[in-house]
Amino acid sequence: MSEGEQKVKLLSSDQVEIETERKVAERSMLIKNMIEDLGAPGEEPIPIMNVSEAVLRKVLEWCQHHKNDPAPTQDDDADSRKKTTDIEDWDQKFMQVDQEMLFEIILAANYMDIKALLDVGCKTVANMIKGKSPEEIRKTFNIQNDFTPEEEDQIRRENEWAEDR
Amino acid sequence: MSGRSTPQTSQRNSRNLSQVRQAQLNGVRSNDKVLASLRATQVVASKPVLPAELITTILDYVPVPDLLRFAQVSRRLQEMVYDDTRWIQKLRAMGVWNEAEARQRVEEAMKRKTEAQMAREAEEARRTGANLPGSVNGIAGGGRRHAGSVTLFDAGKEESNYRKSLEKPQMQTSRRRGTLADGFDDLTISPSTSAQASAKPWDPSIALNVLSRVRSMRGHARQEFGKLYGALGPLYMNLSRSKGHSDAIIFRTYRDPEQQAQILSSLKQFAKCDTALGWQAREQKLDSMIGVFENAVLREFEQGCAANDVDGRMRRYAHVIVSLNGGSAAVDAFISGQPIMSRTLQVADPLDCLEAVAPGHVDLNPSRQFFAKLATTTVDQAAVIEKVFPPSIDVLPPFLSRLCEDVVANYLTTLFDEAHQKGVETYVKAVAGTFEQALRFLASIQPNKASPSDFTDKAKQMLTQCYEKHIDLYLAEELSVFKSKSDAEVGRWEKEMTEQEASAESFFMSNVNRQAAKRDFLSSFRKVVMMPVNVLPAFSTAKPAPGKSVTNLNTVHSSYNGTRPRSPTLTGADTPQRPGTPKAEPPTTELAAKAAIMNARLEGIKALFSIEVALHLTHLAKASIERATVFVRMGGQYGDEAKEQCEAIFVTLLDILGDRHVRNGFDKAIGHLSGYNPREVRELRAKAGNTSNVSTGVEPLVTFLELVNVGDLIQQMLDVFYAQELIATNVTDRDDFLDPAVKGKKKFEQMLDERVAAGLNRGIDVLMDEVEYICATTQLPTDFNPGGTSTESTIVDIGPSQTAQQIVSMIGGHTGMLVGTTDKNMLDVFTQEVGLRLFAVLCKHFKRQRISDDGAIKLISDINHYSDFVSSLRQKPLLPYFHALRELSQIYLVHIDPPAAYFSTNPKVKRASLLSGKGSKTAQQARDLATIIADTQRYHGIFPAEEVYEFAERRADWYLVKGDVERAMYGVGCSIM
Repeated sequence: MSEGEQKVKLLSSDQVEIETERKVAERSMLIKNMIEDLGAPGEEPIPIMNVSEAVLRKVLEWCQHHKNDPAPTQDDDADSRKKTTDIEDWDQKFMQVDQEMLFEIILAANYMDIKALLDVGCKTVANMIKGKSPEEIRKTFNIQNDFTPEEEDQIRRENEWAEDR
Repeated sequence: MSGRSTPQTSQRNSRNLSQVRQAQLNGVRSNDKVLASLRATQVVASKPVLPAELITTILDYVPVPDLLRFAQVSRRLQEMVYDDTRWIQKLRAMGVWNEAEARQRVEEAMKRKTEAQMAREAEEARRTGANLPGSVNGIAGGGRRHAGSVTLFDAGKEESNYRKSLEKPQMQTSRRRGTLADGFDDLTISPSTSAQASAKPWDPSIALNVLSRVRSMRGHARQEFGKLYGALGPLYMNLSRSKGHSDAIIFRTYRDPEQQAQILSSLKQFAKCDTALGWQAREQKLDSMIGVFENAVLREFEQGCAANDVDGRMRRYAHVIVSLNGGSAAVDAFISGQPIMSRTLQVADPLDCLEAVAPGHVDLNPSRQFFAKLATTTVDQAAVIEKVFPPSIDVLPPFLSRLCEDVVANYLTTLFDEAHQKGVETYVKAVAGTFEQALRFLASIQPNKASPSDFTDKAKQMLTQCYEKHIDLYLAEELSVFKSKSDAEVGRWEKEMTEQEASAESFFMSNVNRQAAKRDFLSSFRKVVMMPVNVLPAFSTAKPAPGKSVTNLNTVHSSYNGTRPRSPTLTGADTPQRPGTPKAEPPTTELAAKAAIMNARLEGIKALFSIEVALHLTHLAKASIERATVFVRMGGQYGDEAKEQCEAIFVTLLDILGDRHVRNGFDKAIGHLSGYNPREVRELRAKAGNTSNVSTGVEPLVTFLELVNVGDLIQQMLDVFYAQELIATNVTDRDDFLDPAVKGKKKFEQMLDERVAAGLNRGIDVLMDEVEYICATTQLPTDFNPGGTSTESTIVDIGPSQTAQQIVSMIGGHTGMLVGTTDKNMLDVFTQEVGLRLFAVLCKHFKRQRISDDGAIKLISDINHYSDFVSSLRQKPLLPYFHALRELSQIYLVHIDPPAAYFSTNPKVKRASLLSGKGSKTAQQARDLATIIADTQRYHGIFPAEEVYEFAERRADWYLVKGDVERAMYGVGCSIM
């Protein structure tokens, strides 16, 4: 049994054990580092504290699909990340979930340190923001408006230059 | 965030960050209603909310308009969107952010602020009374609170953060109040102007050069970006949406190609900040648009080129393309449009240089014309370039580099390849010759106004690049050419010599038998002697006067050998077919033939090495080095390599000339010298009927000394060569004692000195053999003992004997030849050695003679003659010896009357006379002699008394006076007898 086909047990926050290939699990830098620190993955499941079973399964689905992607480059400085490519089709379909789940995935990707998944999630969110009015954004992201109407108008006027004509 | 028991709580916990923030946001608004806000957060928290750093990440993907709409959502988000670093990053991506400028502005502002602080404080103090304090301070406070909660900045930006947190409220304040805050004029102008710009309807003229007007100001990056975006954004978006270039706004707004180019290049720059989704498609669109435009312009430009419309279309469209994207396309089009580039072969055919020339040579005229043509073309094109292109770009270097790459390199490669096939010598000549011409071509190029200051260096680099691939081969070939050529030269010469020697011998011997009676070969040589010696310029300078007068034979031979390669007319009368060989006239008798062979062999010493060969080699080296030094001017690595190669050539020259040629010659000469037997030669010559007994020299030594002269000349020649070719051209440093050239030269000189010393050592032996020979053969026994005891007969000529004269003139001749040829110290040693050895030989000689008191006069005059000669040598250490010899000669002068008893028959009387002799005249004279003998002071300690006694024994009358003298010397001892 080669290293990649080794099984790894993960324990979600709601105490569900999920078994997966080590290669798949190691898309997550968190798990990868943990396995490296612990040595060979033992029988003991690895607890993924912040991620529930549903989300973890979803994340692992993504990892399964992307398990053969090239490892993320280490020099992920701001500039190289700036010009990322568009979302690929499979990812686009994968992200067609309700917003709650989307956010959960992003949070999980952030927690489990899966850069590519995080990027996909963020891009999806950015697409959601596109073309929305402030009020719609507030609704989408569940943000309270703490501006007075004058203040809001002031900001709008201030940034009129950016509006499409 | 750790362990939790139920899914519900864990969900909550996972969102605790957002809850905290919500609480914060809400808490700010309604501090009093803690419970209510708690309740509110619970309701809100049913939906997950992303933490701040994730939101900023998301914002990176959001297009600008949405971004700013996002800012209207809440204070927290506004904070994030307005974050200065985000906008600075965008400006930086476009390349319009100047960090240094920003820093300077900050510093200036700080300074101004502190200056204004006082005034402002005073004013505020005055104003607070009248103004509404809340409207200013309250909002400012709110701004500060937000700033405090932002933790996204890195530590390096702390200062700017601090400033921003200070400025932001002020900005807001000023905007809200619509006035400028006092003391903040510089920093607050921009928001107000940006507000003005944004308020105005979009103005196409602003967009043209908006990029150049961006100011780098911390805290105002967003405003500055806003100006840019306001100007360029609509165009950009329009462009990315437009179907074809015909319906894009920019082509409808701007009619002028210049403006279109400018706006397109601005958009290209602007596109760099577009990181939102879909940027690739937009940029591609823009690129294709630019491509279409560029092609159109380029077509116009090319048409202008074809029509040679320098001041019109070419100039206009060159400017357009330059403002579009730096104009590289136009430069390319311009350069490739040059007729010289496309029609290389019409410039010149490289093979012209190799046609109709002798092998080993190359005709450099066609290549010179080639370079001259290039030079004129370049100058013409430089003028065109200056007219067509704006000064911001320099077309001349690319033009030149293309010219070098395409035209020159091709030309050279073809030429060199062909030349190499024709022969290595042709190759080296071609390379060096064309490089020289190339450098001249380089010098003729004048930099344009637009050219950078290091244009000349660059041009040189380009040109040398053409040569770089050849230079390694060239340098190697140069050395090998020189080596093989000089080797061949020396080899040929050596072969000729051995052939000559062999053929000479067989020629002589064969002729002896066949032609029994022929003319005396000497007479034929005599005729040759009549030839002017100065026909041989190289030799006449080297040959000191004594050398010429040595022997007829020698002179004949030396002139033959010396001039062999040069003067066909020299022996024209006698040896028409084979000029310059000593076997011109076949010798008649066997003896004569032997003598001739002997002579030929002795004379062969001069044929051991030839100054002609040395000269020739030096010329070769000079040519090679001169070719190679041209490349020193290339500078850099190749220049150094060329220098090294020059030195290597010089060292090779020294090696070949020194080790192979000169040393062999010297070694052979020394061998001959050792094998020299004067008697044999003399006998041979005497038998050969050589009646001219003028020969006062040792031929091998004479020739050897001439060899030393020639060697010295060669060395001087090399020295001059070294100074001229290597020092004067800065190839080597004279003082660098580690330099191979200097080391080689030293080695050569050392070798020469060694050989000379060894040869002289042998020479002295031979010389002394000759002296002894002369002594033995010419000194007549009657010289010092003229026989008859009668006093009358002693009156003969007073003066040195012939022997003495011969010896002195011979030695004098030989030592004189050396003067100035070798090292002074060595010469001193040599002459001293000659003097000492002469002294020893003379002593030996005198001890063999019998000297009467009459002959003593002759002896004294002989000794005086020797002594005068020795003093003329100016060797102080020698003087005492000959002085002592002179003193010694007096012992022969003392006249002692033969004792009377000797002649009496009466033994009694004889005995009585012996006993009573004390008082007699004889005894008195004997006592005088004894005094002279015993006086060691007289001889400066050179002769001990015993030796003087030995000399005294040579008195002709010694046995008559011995008793008396001994009695006088040793006292009573003898009286008992």
